[in-house]
Amino acid sequence: MSTQKSQRQWGDYLQAALPKIVVAPTFITTLIFIYGFILWNAWLSFTKSRLLPKYDWAGLIQYERLFANERWWVAAQNLLIFGSLFIGICLLIGILLAILLDQRIRAEGALRTIYLYPMALSFIVTGTAWKWILNPGLGLERLMHEWGFEQFTFNWLVDSEMAIYTVVIAGVWQSSGFVMALFLAGLRGIDDSIIKAAQVDGAGLPRIYRSIIIPSLRPVFFSAIIILSHIAIKSFDLVMALTGGGPGYATDLPATFMYSFAFTRGQLGMGAASAMMMLGAVAAIVVPYLYSELRSTRRG
Amino acid sequence: MSGLKIEQIHKKFGTTHVLKGIDIEIEQGDFLILVGPSGCGKSTLLHMIAGLESVTSGTISIGDRDVTHLSPKDRDIAMVFQSYALYPNMTVRENISFGLSIRKVPQQEQQKTVQRVAEMLQIEPLLERKPAQLSGGQRQRVAMGRALAREPSIFLFDEPLSNLDAKLRVEMRTEIKELHHRLGTTMVYVTHDQIEAMTLGERIAIMKDGIIQQFGSPREIYDNPVNQFVAGFIGSPSMNFIPCSVISMDNGHGVEMENEAAKFVLPLGRSEPALESRVGKTVLLGIRPEKITHHRASDVGSAGIHQASCRVEIVEPTGPDTLVFVKLNGVSTVCRVDPDQAKKVGENIDLMFDMNRAVFFEAEKGTRIC
Amino acid sequence: MVNQGQSSIFSRLAVYGALSLAALYFLTPLFVMLLTSLKTLEDIRSGSLVSWPEEITFEAWQMAWTSACIGVDCGGLKGYFWNSISMVVPAVVISTMIGAINGYVLTQWRFRGSDVFFALLLIGCFIPFQVVLLPMARTLGFLGLAGSIPGLILVHTVYGLAFTTLFFRNFYIAVPDELVKAARIDGAGFFTIFWRILLPISGPIIVVSVIWQFTQIWNDFLFGVVYSAGDKQPITVALNNLVNTSTGIKRYNVDMAAAIIAALPTLFVYFVAGKYFVRGLTAGSVKG
Repeated sequence: MSTQKSQRQWGDYLQAALPKIVVAPTFITTLIFIYGFILWNAWLSFTKSRLLPKYDWAGLIQYERLFANERWWVAAQNLLIFGSLFIGICLLIGILLAILLDQRIRAEGALRTIYLYPMALSFIVTGTAWKWILNPGLGLERLMHEWGFEQFTFNWLVDSEMAIYTVVIAGVWQSSGFVMALFLAGLRGIDDSIIKAAQVDGAGLPRIYRSIIIPSLRPVFFSAIIILSHIAIKSFDLVMALTGGGPGYATDLPATFMYSFAFTRGQLGMGAASAMMMLGAVAAIVVPYLYSELRSTRRG
Repeated sequence: MSGLKIEQIHKKFGTTHVLKGIDIEIEQGDFLILVGPSGCGKSTLLHMIAGLESVTSGTISIGDRDVTHLSPKDRDIAMVFQSYALYPNMTVRENISFGLSIRKVPQQEQQKTVQRVAEMLQIEPLLERKPAQLSGGQRQRVAMGRALAREPSIFLFDEPLSNLDAKLRVEMRTEIKELHHRLGTTMVYVTHDQIEAMTLGERIAIMKDGIIQQFGSPREIYDNPVNQFVAGFIGSPSMNFIPCSVISMDNGHGVEMENEAAKFVLPLGRSEPALESRVGKTVLLGIRPEKITHHRASDVGSAGIHQASCRVEIVEPTGPDTLVFVKLNGVSTVCRVDPDQAKKVGENIDLMFDMNRAVFFEAEKGTRIC
Repeated sequence: MVNQGQSSIFSRLAVYGALSLAALYFLTPLFVMLLTSLKTLEDIRSGSLVSWPEEITFEAWQMAWTSACIGVDCGGLKGYFWNSISMVVPAVVISTMIGAINGYVLTQWRFRGSDVFFALLLIGCFIPFQVVLLPMARTLGFLGLAGSIPGLILVHTVYGLAFTTLFFRNFYIAVPDELVKAARIDGAGFFTIFWRILLPISGPIIVVSVIWQFTQIWNDFLFGVVYSAGDKQPITVALNNLVNTSTGIKRYNVDMAAAIIAALPTLFVYFVAGKYFVRGLTAGSVKG
């Protein structure tokens, strides 16, 4: 009887511990592969590691070298240009398409599918496609010549001043449909009776959008900007496929900078330092967002 | 034999003290109601009886067996939930037999049980349907069926009728009561609805702030509430609480009333020792609406019954009765009168106050005086 | 949705016009790719982006699949396509399974610290992977998985867990607690409840998770280019190598055919189950 009882209690303890046992592997992996690795990478950024990792403390030497590196500043400036244009244009196109699609459009489903399909593609595919379309000799330029615009030139892809804008073009093409989907979901979530009340009050359609609907989409703006800036900071594949960072290093972004220093130029320490800078940039954007998100869910 | 015994149960969630020393004991076959406003801890207590919530301190015994630390499956209980909690991927038949199949009851016996339960609840035509294809009332029945299938030593109900519409609720209330008579199994039933509590319960525990305010039969609680909270919680419309000062009269005590500048005295017709020390002070008179009625000639002159004329403020017909609101000592007071005898707003009505069942509370604390 | 009482035909036309223009903008690149892939090289040189092929030929497709040179190896994309498949399938299955059970624990069996655990995991959705690239490279080396497909499976599984857990957690949080409580009273234990009560109703979220993980892993380039080598590379890396190889003549038609081949699986998934794809995209970003 007593052994039976203790067996049952054993079973109960096991049942009680099961949930923890089950999530333990994920917990441990997260600790090691995310937080442990961040610390490891941070440590590397404070060493003189070049081709092989060294673990002797060297202070801020890598950061000093990074900040003295002209190429890093080009990458940072490119990120600023690319990021602001990419986010701005995506938002503009996204909202516009969402509002237009919200007007009881007959083929809404089909149009939505068309607008969003680029999001299913790899940035490598997108980059390959636009690289061909923007090809200085055979692409858009040739097409315009054939259509009679003989003076038309378009060689941004090989112009180190303008090449970064081709990245913007391809990036916007890929991501604006996604922004449209976010805003459309937001529009559909707005309480119908508010709009009806405004109509009863005599407000016209443009006025309703300006003063009621768009202001109430603020949370969507917020999420969209966070996600887009996150995409921008992590952008790597698109540049690799479209320009390979070139001409020269004219279209380098921090992500491509990190890759080439850490993996092709044998500058582990500097690569690690640049990765830490990227982490800092993402944290500056995401932490306040997560904080407000978590706070609002706790309130609700 | 004891059906359920709860001794000194405490529950803390972090720093909040949800249950503060609950003691309840009922006999086997009793129907116990836990009732109280939301947040009083009644659902937590039920979940602790079920073993779904751990006990901070104290013991729970079901049928003389200490179950405080047993897991739900070892407590020999069945439970009906507020949301019914039917398994959405299973048919009604599978829902009912799930608990049996987990307990490795032979197939044939399972099917027999399903048949028996389905007949009892008249849900045979629904057996092959999924919960999503059922109406609210049908889901409720299936949830009951699932509990019945197991023949447990105690049934637990967590506000099982609160998602039904008013008419169905009354019907199901009757059915649950019948079921209890038929099965004779101990039942514990949580509700926030005082009418449900009064109609169903044999023993009612009224809870507030994690404490049992009063534990007794419906009649005891209705006629003899221990404090102002219980008096106000049970009964609809609620008991009137009128602040008034106590005076000493020839044949006992009385209280002073004022309506539209007209003052009058309501004599109790008896002497209450507890009121003696409060003569000249303010107390709360507790009087139920049905004890203030229209003029009835037959009652004139009866002991403890007094007549007074008051100005009508609001009239609310309910059908069988009409509720008339008058102002007594500045407090809106409900009276239950015959529809034919009701007056219009602004007119005066002759009311008869039956003080025999009147109770008195401390003005501030709300504790019972007598 | 706004009901326009007196919308004129003109403004309707404008709306449809703008929407069609946008559709054209999104469709043109795909159309150009397809057109180019069906042309001969001479045709490409003499025509324009949107000119119709002189003759439709599948030569470029065949070449992209079987004989295009990627680096020094001239076997086409074929092998890399299978690399991607053999990497994606296990990674998707494992990360979805673990995500499902994590979500189950995080909603129905919360314990002290489970919210902290979830918050820690959630942050994992946001970190730029550059910050783990170097340590992961060393770790794969230690484990003997460097440059191998199992190594890539490990990486994708580990960094996909945050998302799959998030999906299932947000799905199961809408499941009423009472369902699990009822099952516990019926005598069901931890795994029985998961297996018999929750998994059978998880169809939609499993699809969302699988599609999300599939597209993410199939389209990944960063982990692929860093952690794989030679003939073990996934298709995105192979495509990039093919397109950016500077030796020999540029075969634009082969490039385009290769790009479409690399895009086909995810496009197929998108057109078949677009609804779930969108749900995955918006799951982490829009609350609810």
